[in-house]
Amino acid sequence: MQTLNNASAGGIVLAMADRIVENRAYLSEIDGKIGDGDHGVNMAKGFGMAAERLKGKDLSLAASLETLGTILMTEIGGSMGPLYGVMFTEFAEKLEGVDAIDAAAYSRMLHAGLEGIQSIGSAKVGDKTLLDTFVPAVEAFDAAAADGKSFGEALDALVAAAETGRDSTINLVAKIGRASRLGERSLGVLDAGATSCAIILKELSEGARDRLQ
Amino acid sequence: MASKTSPTGKSTAGKTGQTDVADAMPLRYGDDPYVWACWLYYEEGRTQHDIAEIMGISRATVNSYLADARSRGIVNISLEPSRLSSLAIAQELKRHFGLLDCLVVPSDDGSRTLIDRLGTAGGQAVAKLLKSGDTLAVAWGRTVLAIAGNTAVTGLQDVTIVQATGGTRASFAYTPELCASAMAEATGAKLINIAAPAIVSNAEVQSAFLREPLIEEQFAALGRANKALFGVSSLRPNSTIHTSGFFESVSIQHYLAKNAVGVVAGRFIDPQGRAVAGPLDERTIGISLDMLQKIGMRIAVAGGFDKVPAILAALRGGFINVLITDAATGRGILNADGVTEVDQRLAQRTRGEGPLPLPSNVRTHIKKFLNNPDQVVDEMLEGVLKAHADYITPIKGSNRALVARKGPRAGKVGLVIGGGTGHEPCFLGYVGKGLADAVAVGNIFSSPPPGPILECARAASGGQGVLFVYGNYAGDVMNFEMAAEMAQEEDIPVRTVLTTDDIASSPVEDRDGRRGVAGNFFMFKIAGAACDRGLALSECEAVTRKANDRTFTIGVALEPCSLPQTRRHNFEIGPDDIEIGMGIHGERGVVRDRMMSADQITDRIIDRIFGEMNAQPGDRVAVLVNSFGATPLMELYILFRRVEQRLSAKNITIAANWIGHYCTSLDMVGASISILHLDQELSDLLLYPCDSAALRIN
Repeated sequence: MQTLNNASAGGIVLAMADRIVENRAYLSEIDGKIGDGDHGVNMAKGFGMAAERLKGKDLSLAASLETLGTILMTEIGGSMGPLYGVMFTEFAEKLEGVDAIDAAAYSRMLHAGLEGIQSIGSAKVGDKTLLDTFVPAVEAFDAAAADGKSFGEALDALVAAAETGRDSTINLVAKIGRASRLGERSLGVLDAGATSCAIILKELSEGARDRLQ
Repeated sequence: MASKTSPTGKSTAGKTGQTDVADAMPLRYGDDPYVWACWLYYEEGRTQHDIAEIMGISRATVNSYLADARSRGIVNISLEPSRLSSLAIAQELKRHFGLLDCLVVPSDDGSRTLIDRLGTAGGQAVAKLLKSGDTLAVAWGRTVLAIAGNTAVTGLQDVTIVQATGGTRASFAYTPELCASAMAEATGAKLINIAAPAIVSNAEVQSAFLREPLIEEQFAALGRANKALFGVSSLRPNSTIHTSGFFESVSIQHYLAKNAVGVVAGRFIDPQGRAVAGPLDERTIGISLDMLQKIGMRIAVAGGFDKVPAILAALRGGFINVLITDAATGRGILNADGVTEVDQRLAQRTRGEGPLPLPSNVRTHIKKFLNNPDQVVDEMLEGVLKAHADYITPIKGSNRALVARKGPRAGKVGLVIGGGTGHEPCFLGYVGKGLADAVAVGNIFSSPPPGPILECARAASGGQGVLFVYGNYAGDVMNFEMAAEMAQEEDIPVRTVLTTDDIASSPVEDRDGRRGVAGNFFMFKIAGAACDRGLALSECEAVTRKANDRTFTIGVALEPCSLPQTRRHNFEIGPDDIEIGMGIHGERGVVRDRMMSADQITDRIIDRIFGEMNAQPGDRVAVLVNSFGATPLMELYILFRRVEQRLSAKNITIAANWIGHYCTSLDMVGASISILHLDQELSDLLLYPCDSAALRIN
């Protein structure tokens, strides 16, 4: 059975932070179309701070996620700070003490993060938020695992579903957050949160897949 | 009007009207004006202004010819390979370590020593980075002295150079005293030496020295440094640290045994950049690593392959945010930290064709008064705290949580407000006596995190509980709720009133879902007065809620705002369009309409407000006509004029009015109109005295 070594996988979080920082301008750009255009800036600030704290420490995946979650939750503010903060701290909590992460543990991690977000936000799938990326991604992972696919294949299914979910927000009308004030005029643009969520899930899952043993 | 004659006197083109370019073009350029423009610019070294005169075309056309010439391949700009390589390394170092800036000198050209080349580069950097009013802490070493020898800065005022460590009795040329004084001389700065030895015999002597008023003063000057210049020393045998005699070799052995790899400003660090404890710590008189880290700009100049581990450690420890080194060392640092792509990227870059330049006459950015776009909030707060020191002061040294100097007192309910920045004078302008007790400050248009909000609650608490009043936005609600829970765990009762005065943002059935905008001004005023009058927490909450229920706002935007980080409009409004129902974060409005007259716009707003307000003849209201940032007072008065006409036609009395910048949205062009429907209780509280940076009522 394929597993991921928790202790040696902290680098995934650093790679994720790099990717978010690289996408700073892009995320702000799409946020600017229907939001206030600061998504990329705030995300890059939070992930950059986390990277600075993690660099050279060689922490486990759980400990790295914990650091990232705490920084987002306590130091970033906005709405993405608490939402992603709670997601990563829930991820970390579920992985803590698991030496070899298998598909079942990975699924528990995803569900805990999702529930964390749903406990503080009130969005549903179809509201044009990060949940439109996250929920189908988790479902695709579970379905692949239930089908008897390998951990690695399930991770690929997750990434593909996350990207499809992200793209689905183009055709959605925002129901929550500032963009919701725009009604129909929010059609035709990607949601910035759904986009950053796809980046995060992709980096996390591809990083995991590349380290499977 | 007389037409101007060519100032160059060498014009070959006719200057009357729109001369056809090809008619006047010398034969050698064929029919290609691009080639002609490029020849004049690159070969003859003429300015674009001169070229425009010579060719008889506008300057903008010259500019676009030059840009197009590059994309069409008429002009190829090539950089010498070694320079290109050092630029790529500098770029990657800056990105990888998150530096403010990085300068990499090309590797050995054989003619000059590394120290000399670093000295020249350091001198150029100091000339660029040192500004009037700076205090620069200068450490010692061969490199630092070489920089001083290559620095010549004139024209700066009020610069102070402080020696970063005590002096030494060792006999070498680059002592701390000499480095600092050479730098002071090279920059025309005032010099402050540390009049004590860098290393003393024991801890008692150290603390005695530090208690001396003279030394204390000199250290205070060091503490004011906003920039630092230092080298990085390795601990390899033969390094400066060993050979200079500055440290006793016995002590160095101790630090080496504890895995120290480098020395920064006289302090030992391990490979991760952590301080290594040792026998010299209590005997050293000089800048500490903590002090160094608090300095805003920390310029390190160091090179040589033996220094790679030491420089990497200093980067990891966050001691450096401007690095000046050479290409071989820079590459070594990157490789040692796992970055190997720089060479691949370099190879790609030389093959790739680069981005197409935009036509030069297209405006791509909004002009703003900026230094570093990522520091706007911090720089603004520095200014605010100096400007309004009488009213507000940081809580526990953090500018993101501010408390009123004359606000909190025992027995009074504390009022905490806050939110994102970009709305100035909201929110920090409303902190003072009779208004809010504390404010939590977020990033631009983004809620502060729970930490500063909790600090505000603690600072505002006078034992009778704390009232949170803030706008109804998803992010603010999450962060303030978290902070409220944390405060309640500390036995500080918290009540919250979410402001929801923007009646355009949601239909009346969904009043609670509306957002809070400029009407915040009234809610803060009422809540502040209720708290200052000594009402109980539940009473303060109730009357603030009543104010919120009776405040009605609608905003209209004529032009979008632009964020400092992007300097672009974050949405577009057509040339003849306006946005009605605009929020205060640059979100688009709810309805887009054609531009109309000021009175028509005011009527649209007032009709909608009257539809909800239910005021009777003889009722009293307060009016706020608020600029979104770029709309001038002149136009606000034109709006107010119509508001007053409409209200007096209904026989409604304006008991108080405010016209100006009260809750803005950066540089948005537009305004909002807020009306507070008064009753006796609200009238009393509205006119109750208050004193803050943005509002004073006597």
